[in-house]
Amino acid sequence: MSDECPACSVPSAGEPSATRSAAPMWIIVVTLVLLFLGGIYFDRHSGWFDAKVYAPYNSTENLGAYQPQSGAAAELARGKKTYEAVCGICHGPDGLGKPGQAPPLAGSEWVVAKGVNRLAHIPLAGLAGPIQVAGKEWSLNMAAMGAALPDDSLAAVLTYIRSSWGNLAPPVTGDDIKKIRAAVGAGGQPATSEVLLKLPE
Amino acid sequence: MKTGVSVFIAAFVALGASWCGFVLAPVLQLGGAKQTVVLQSTDNWPLQRIGEATLGLQVYRAYGCAACHSEQVRQTGAAFEVTLTSLGVQKPSDFVDFTKSLFVLPELADYTNAIATSLNGWKGGLPKTLLTCTDKDIATEMADRLKAVGVKSETGIIATGADIARGWGSRLSVAADYLYDQPVQLGSLRAGPDLANIGVRAPDANWQLQHLYAPKSVTPTSTMPSFKFLFEVRKIGATPSPDALNLPKEFAAADGYEIVPKPEAKQLAAYLLSLKANVPLYEAPFTPAAK
Repeated sequence: MSDECPACSVPSAGEPSATRSAAPMWIIVVTLVLLFLGGIYFDRHSGWFDAKVYAPYNSTENLGAYQPQSGAAAELARGKKTYEAVCGICHGPDGLGKPGQAPPLAGSEWVVAKGVNRLAHIPLAGLAGPIQVAGKEWSLNMAAMGAALPDDSLAAVLTYIRSSWGNLAPPVTGDDIKKIRAAVGAGGQPATSEVLLKLPE
Repeated sequence: MKTGVSVFIAAFVALGASWCGFVLAPVLQLGGAKQTVVLQSTDNWPLQRIGEATLGLQVYRAYGCAACHSEQVRQTGAAFEVTLTSLGVQKPSDFVDFTKSLFVLPELADYTNAIATSLNGWKGGLPKTLLTCTDKDIATEMADRLKAVGVKSETGIIATGADIARGWGSRLSVAADYLYDQPVQLGSLRAGPDLANIGVRAPDANWQLQHLYAPKSVTPTSTMPSFKFLFEVRKIGATPSPDALNLPKEFAAADGYEIVPKPEAKQLAAYLLSLKANVPLYEAPFTPAAK
């Protein structure tokens, strides 16, 4: 071939060839730094994908706070709030009561009774004298703590204590409380254990 | 080439990694998407398009509507809104006085001021939005205090953001909304308004057709091109066509002629009417306006 093309026969510097050489250290460092920053960004911006969570919400808990509450769940949440503000101080947030202050509500036969009549009398009229709760005798006075609460707030509280801490009794409605409140009347004497036991359930 | 094998492997890994990121990962994450349920109801969402609306998606695609219109509402936040629904026995003026004592704590004074501002000049019209805040505890507290004085209120969840403020939708668009779109017409440019909720915003098929034929006849400032070729100018026969457009004089056809939509125009209008994103979902909660 070189005979026909003199120009091609000009000696060249030779074919370029690839060789192996070490990557510069700065490239390795920059790559690692970028990977690290990327990892931080990924984690901060909810990189853990959830098909149900979109910005501006950033987690299922955050999204849960914006779910409309209605029906039983909302009633319980409301009852819990009022309970903790009004009743929990003595009966405890866990419903276990406090020795020398208040009997337990968790596992109390008064709380989980079939009907709510006797139970609702206690916050509406108050309670005095000895009373048997869960196999122990208590003798403490309770003011009519529920008399000032609206019917449906008291109903929510009673619903809450009847279905929390292992208690499993049906919910209470505002109408139930309305009837019982009318029966109790205003400014009467605190109820006693004997009076309560004579009432229908 | 001595390094042929390494080059091949490097190229394969680079392409493979992007394929995994762009194709495989989304399929694993959302590929199994199913119909979901409308919040606080048993209705399914979304519903499959039927009839002309199904064909309309392809018309929408063919004429490149997605080049100027997006189909995605964005949301930047959410807030709680306490709305007064009944004053019970209270008089509006007494109620305004009462709100001054709603939040007495100094750190909550801003809320009291906001309520006072919103009640400025209020005559007692209901429902009345009292407070919009991002703190759920404040909203709940507010509702409880109102309840304690015998005033009825409702706490709703509202979406916030520029798109919501423009009235383009009630909530952000989520993957479920596009379940039956093939292909999905998200769009990336908004020369025109967003259409994710156009079926609710402009629910009249005649309006849609007139707008396609002569956008300026309904929105004088519109920059949308006219889609006249989707319509037919016909001589009025023995009886006028029931489909004929009822246009203002300067856009109408000459006397004795009528403008009738071709099937494509009807399909496109049916598709536009099927674009709705007006129901609350678990992933996009909001409180719908009372019916």
